[in-house]
Amino acid sequence: MPRTTTLESPGCPPLRAITFDVLGLIKVSEARSKQGGVTKVVERWGEPDASRCVLAASINDRKVDPLLAVARKNGAVELLSPINGDLRVSLATTNQTDVQSQEDNIVGLHLFKKQQSESSPRSCTLLTCTTKGLTTVRSVTIPRSLGDSTCDDTPTTWNVCAAGNVLCCKVDENENYALFGGKGVEVNIWDLATHTKIWTAKSPPKNSLGIFTPTWFTSATFMSKDDHRKFAAGTNSHEVRLYDMSAQRRPVMSFDFRETPIKAITEDVDGNTIYIGNGSGDLASVDIRTGKLLGCFLGKCSGSIRSITRHPDLPVIASCGLDSYLRIWDIKSRQLLSAVFLKQHLTKVVFDSNFEDDEVAGTVATMPPSEQDIDDEPVDRDEESPPVVKKKKKRSKSRSLDENEEEAVSSKHKKTKKSRNLDREDEESRSAKKKKAKKSQNVDEDEEELISVEQEKSKKSKVKSKDGKSKKSKKSKGESIDV
Amino acid sequence: MGNKRKEREVQSDDDAPAKSRTKKMDKADGGKPQLLPSMIKNKDKRSALYAKLKHEKKAEKKKNAKARAALESRALELGEELPPKKVPRTIENTREADETVCRPDDEELFAGNDVDEFSKVLNHERVPKVLMTTCRFNSTRGPALIKDLLTVIPNSEYYKRGTYDLKKIVEYANNKEFTSVIVVHTSRREPDALLVIGLPNGPTAHFKLSNLVLHKDLKNHGNPTGHKPELVLNNFTTRLGHRVGRLIQSLFPQDPEFRGRRVVTFHNQRDFIFFRHHRYTVENKADKHDKTKDKNKDAGVWPKTLKGDIYAQLQECGPRFTLKLRSLQYGTFDTKGGEYEWTHKAEMDTSRRRFFL
Repeated sequence: MPRTTTLESPGCPPLRAITFDVLGLIKVSEARSKQGGVTKVVERWGEPDASRCVLAASINDRKVDPLLAVARKNGAVELLSPINGDLRVSLATTNQTDVQSQEDNIVGLHLFKKQQSESSPRSCTLLTCTTKGLTTVRSVTIPRSLGDSTCDDTPTTWNVCAAGNVLCCKVDENENYALFGGKGVEVNIWDLATHTKIWTAKSPPKNSLGIFTPTWFTSATFMSKDDHRKFAAGTNSHEVRLYDMSAQRRPVMSFDFRETPIKAITEDVDGNTIYIGNGSGDLASVDIRTGKLLGCFLGKCSGSIRSITRHPDLPVIASCGLDSYLRIWDIKSRQLLSAVFLKQHLTKVVFDSNFEDDEVAGTVATMPPSEQDIDDEPVDRDEESPPVVKKKKKRSKSRSLDENEEEAVSSKHKKTKKSRNLDREDEESRSAKKKKAKKSQNVDEDEEELISVEQEKSKKSKVKSKDGKSKKSKKSKGESIDV
Repeated sequence: MGNKRKEREVQSDDDAPAKSRTKKMDKADGGKPQLLPSMIKNKDKRSALYAKLKHEKKAEKKKNAKARAALESRALELGEELPPKKVPRTIENTREADETVCRPDDEELFAGNDVDEFSKVLNHERVPKVLMTTCRFNSTRGPALIKDLLTVIPNSEYYKRGTYDLKKIVEYANNKEFTSVIVVHTSRREPDALLVIGLPNGPTAHFKLSNLVLHKDLKNHGNPTGHKPELVLNNFTTRLGHRVGRLIQSLFPQDPEFRGRRVVTFHNQRDFIFFRHHRYTVENKADKHDKTKDKNKDAGVWPKTLKGDIYAQLQECGPRFTLKLRSLQYGTFDTKGGEYEWTHKAEMDTSRRRFFL
């Protein structure tokens, strides 16, 4: 037989990655240990439509009620459930739709992980930034069902730059500061609480030949979790710079990487290593303290890298870009673990860190109750015997409730484990977590109450009229969505 | 001393292996040869064994061929189905499996095609208009190739390069509503690269150009008419190939004039794209007797049977060259800030059975 070199990939650990492409499709790839760590596309959400091209995405992968925010080319920002891709909220363009020209696309999107308002547990906060530098922070309340209107607070909007194009926007881990930079825009840092600019970078001096390189930042990232003062930025002139706000306004260190512009920078959790990807598909890891190249990720990758993401727990990074491949790499050995061909130019990849191999069966079992309910309904209609229906419904509800409780308990367990494992986490975060857990409990209780109310309602309606089935079915649908 | 002792040892040791060797030889005589020629140190014996093995192999091959021929002839006699013919293994049909090969049932592919950079031209919304230019210093074969390409691609114009930056030219072409820019790059008076830029925001393909034969250097070349040519694109199978194919397709008008009987071929084989330009005629057998004889004498046209009594005749005209893709860049020409969709890298060349187009 002829000698053929197949991609010998050792297989990746169980993980779940979500990729976004230029046709507005969202694809979920999963690797499971049962299949020998082969990554496969398991789901595809959305219909191909170029105007819905995904420009930015952000995930809040908390244990309870995770959320995925997606910014589209037509100006819409959507909040999805990363578990099943259900659309939770769709926000049209901001109120300045007429003013915004077509070129003013959203470049940065951040979904805040911490809750801002204590009163409404179902609200979330979004930061969006457009090319022109228009930055908006708004909180959105997720409605119970799609039909309800979203009650937004008044969005606070400000402009981060007078001229130029913003190309990168990043919010630090504690979510107090945001960083903006771009073509003709020096990196500047804003305090998100007061909406004031607290720091601006200064461009490096002319070189020995007296040539001044114009400012053109393409990507940036904060270096460590609890320090917003250090960050790394990549420029169009294939230069990677390290800034330290506490030291000076000019870069503390800078070095060149290959010949094409740096397109993606991601930090490692250790706060020293960064991963850089450039326009011709080179991916490398660099120790930013010394600027020394640790090594390149070689794997016949030939298209520009648009996004790199570090998995929060596993020693794995994912990269994607114009070669339409999602590639998963091991950090230590810098080996390609697996590659999936996803057919379109990819714009962004995020990890869903809650995915666990063992739990797959469990989540699949717990997920569909809503579907089950929906499936049950036609049967109920056929049978025309209300008491039986009641029993069934009660049963199913109680089951789902139990499951919910179980989930919550398990998640708590995990959290405690995590906190034990991670020594670095300070007390604040712990207390925050506790709060979160409490909140989740509250949510559960709320839901229980609601459900009980609704149950009563449905009972009443059944007693009132047998022929009002359509209403009943509607209500039950609403319930199913809630559950 | 040492040597002698060694010899003695060797002799004493030799007894056992010698026997085994003879045994092996016996086996080789009887059936399976187990002793490889490379194991024998004596050259005479080694070459003798090698010759013998080679002879055996040849004889077996001949026997097999004869058996096959016999089977075939018998099948012919009895009117049975012929035994299946063996397909020779080539590099093409043992190509490495590629998951990026386009499938006709891929709806995402078609959805992507509808919105890509070429869709306007290919959906007849815009008429293709091509600007041709050269590199900064060109002479001899460069302008000659441009002259030939101007006849091949309809609605194309040549602009002198002057001292303009390519980015400025792209900008200018955008303003003048050109749909593509072609740059012929020459080095040492020989065209060696071709740059095809899609406008207004289409991709930029950089090809290596080789084996150039100009129109006037072709023997028995034909002279093309001014009709819009037909286009043949062969073997652009993968997603990358598909994209390159569409880029090439967008250079030509989408409504060929079949009256002109003029065809332009881009044939991809093992990642090399062969460019040919032909005229053809389709004739009946009845007319053939009086016509083709004359033509054969004059123009060297070889008739070729197609079906029944219809003949197609092919005559090459225009330039002939080979292209090889070096890089495909996203967006228009930009060497400094460009993003590449695909570039050739040395680390990709680990197998000669892997093709990208």
